[in-house]
Amino acid sequence: MMLLRREFTKLIHQKRSYVGWIGLLAVPLLVTLALYLNRNNHHHDNGPGGVISLAMHNGLLMPVAAITLLSAFLLPLLASMVGAYQLAGEAETGTIKTWLMHSISRGGVLASKWGIAIIYVIIGLALVFVGGLIGGALAFGLHAPALLSGQTVSISHGLGLSLLAFLYVLAGIICVLSLALLFATMTNSSLTAAIAALVVFIVMNILGAFSYFDFMKPYLFTSHLDAWQNLLSQPISWHPIVIGLITFAIYIVGLMAVAWYLFRRKDILV
Amino acid sequence: MTLTQEHTGGPAATPPDAEPVVLATYGLTKSFGGKLAVDHLDLTVRRGDVFGFLGPNGAGKTTTIRMIVGLIYPTSGYATVIDHQVPRDKKEALKHIGGFVEVPAFYGNMSARLNLRLMGSLNGQVEEQRISEVLDIVGLRERADSKVGDYSHGMKQRLGIANALINKPELVILDEPTSGLDPQGMKDVRELVRELGTGGTTVFLSSHLLHEVEQVCNRAVIINRGKVVIEGPVSDLHPEHSSVKLLTADQGKARDVVAALVGAQNVELDEEYLIVQASDGVDAVIPAREQGLEDFFLGLTQSSDVDTGGAVGVSGGAK
Repeated sequence: MMLLRREFTKLIHQKRSYVGWIGLLAVPLLVTLALYLNRNNHHHDNGPGGVISLAMHNGLLMPVAAITLLSAFLLPLLASMVGAYQLAGEAETGTIKTWLMHSISRGGVLASKWGIAIIYVIIGLALVFVGGLIGGALAFGLHAPALLSGQTVSISHGLGLSLLAFLYVLAGIICVLSLALLFATMTNSSLTAAIAALVVFIVMNILGAFSYFDFMKPYLFTSHLDAWQNLLSQPISWHPIVIGLITFAIYIVGLMAVAWYLFRRKDILV
Repeated sequence: MTLTQEHTGGPAATPPDAEPVVLATYGLTKSFGGKLAVDHLDLTVRRGDVFGFLGPNGAGKTTTIRMIVGLIYPTSGYATVIDHQVPRDKKEALKHIGGFVEVPAFYGNMSARLNLRLMGSLNGQVEEQRISEVLDIVGLRERADSKVGDYSHGMKQRLGIANALINKPELVILDEPTSGLDPQGMKDVRELVRELGTGGTTVFLSSHLLHEVEQVCNRAVIINRGKVVIEGPVSDLHPEHSSVKLLTADQGKARDVVAALVGAQNVELDEEYLIVQASDGVDAVIPAREQGLEDFFLGLTQSSDVDTGGAVGVSGGAK
């Protein structure tokens, strides 16, 4: 906890932190604006589908509409960057050796790096949520939302479901972040680690897109990233959500265990 | 006229009433891809020592320090700091160590003060007063609230020393602390190191600058290719002037001249050299060329370096 607090101090002193956050705040606002300007001819739009067209009638669903678009690329990108930067970025500046020359354990350092990267993503997701809600409210107003399955639920119920959806996306994104952190234990270049994590993410997506590789699909965490959409149909089918969360958990534990093993024994030569 | 001297001093014996050992290494060895960087290094540093860790660039100094502070793992052997074994108990050991390896690195977007607060508090409580104190010691008080990213190399180097001192550690490890400093900065740092030693702090000072070690250290070890070449009190490392060889154009005449000098004894002519025994305290009999530790060091390291053409960087040329 003491280490996490210090990582937070470091995080808020880095300009790059704000660049990502501003991006995450801007995207839902931009999406809202685009949908708003396009509101009269949306029937021509065969775009991203259900959730987004729902949001065009109700600003309350704008956060989940934004997350649908973000979880495809920008969010994994930012998670890779922040995960990779935590260790490899400090190797680049040499500060990792200054840091590790103190009476702290490597395991604790790794855990705090993981924790701060998650906090970064949580703050980012909160900005998306708030940005989406504000944009959505201004453009389309906040009403009791209709779900994908047609039923209408109360505003608070709708917000609750959106929040759950965000938490699910967070769990999925922690997989990407853990992957980047693992690569960061193997290289001293944060760009290399971030790109490696993104490459794995994209390869998994591609594998998941071809029916030939269907046998792999259940084992790729990327196949489960969209399972939160089940939250927006009544009755909620929890099965894919639970399977998704279990898959994420296995990935996260596995990746961090390897990262811990490597980092604990790593020779810091920067 | 060529003049060489024979070294007659050897490693000094440990005094019987020695101070407790603060840092020791036992067969410390590190190989990178089969290449030995540090080769069964045994060192003993006692409380209050200002210990010079000398060697040419690439001798294994920084690798040794990295092992002592747990940044890299020895291939074999270990170090002890106070009573804590590294790497096994490095978390405990690091409580007693302050210092830096190579160039001190800090968070550039933060002020010096915040850096010191952040780092210092990793090893225990750090009072604001202590932060100001160490900034004063290294003369950075006025720039304490500027971003470290805007600091010059010399200022970062001094901040590194401040950071090393912040927790009042028993052992201060400084890796070439004067590298890249201007002459005044070098002088300041050396004075500071001397003061630390006087105050009872044990200092482990790595350097490739021999006069630096001569100036500030009481004990030193010279390493080359990861091995100890010689170890002992700095005064002992200095070659003694008890025997001097002379080569002149006219050896016969030189013998007469030298023999007439006060203090010169046993002036003999062997096949090539004129050998002069000087009595105690009159080693300035032949002041033609003072052989310093530098030449002595070059002699030592180059003799084991023949296959590389004796290409050891000694002065200047930091990594």
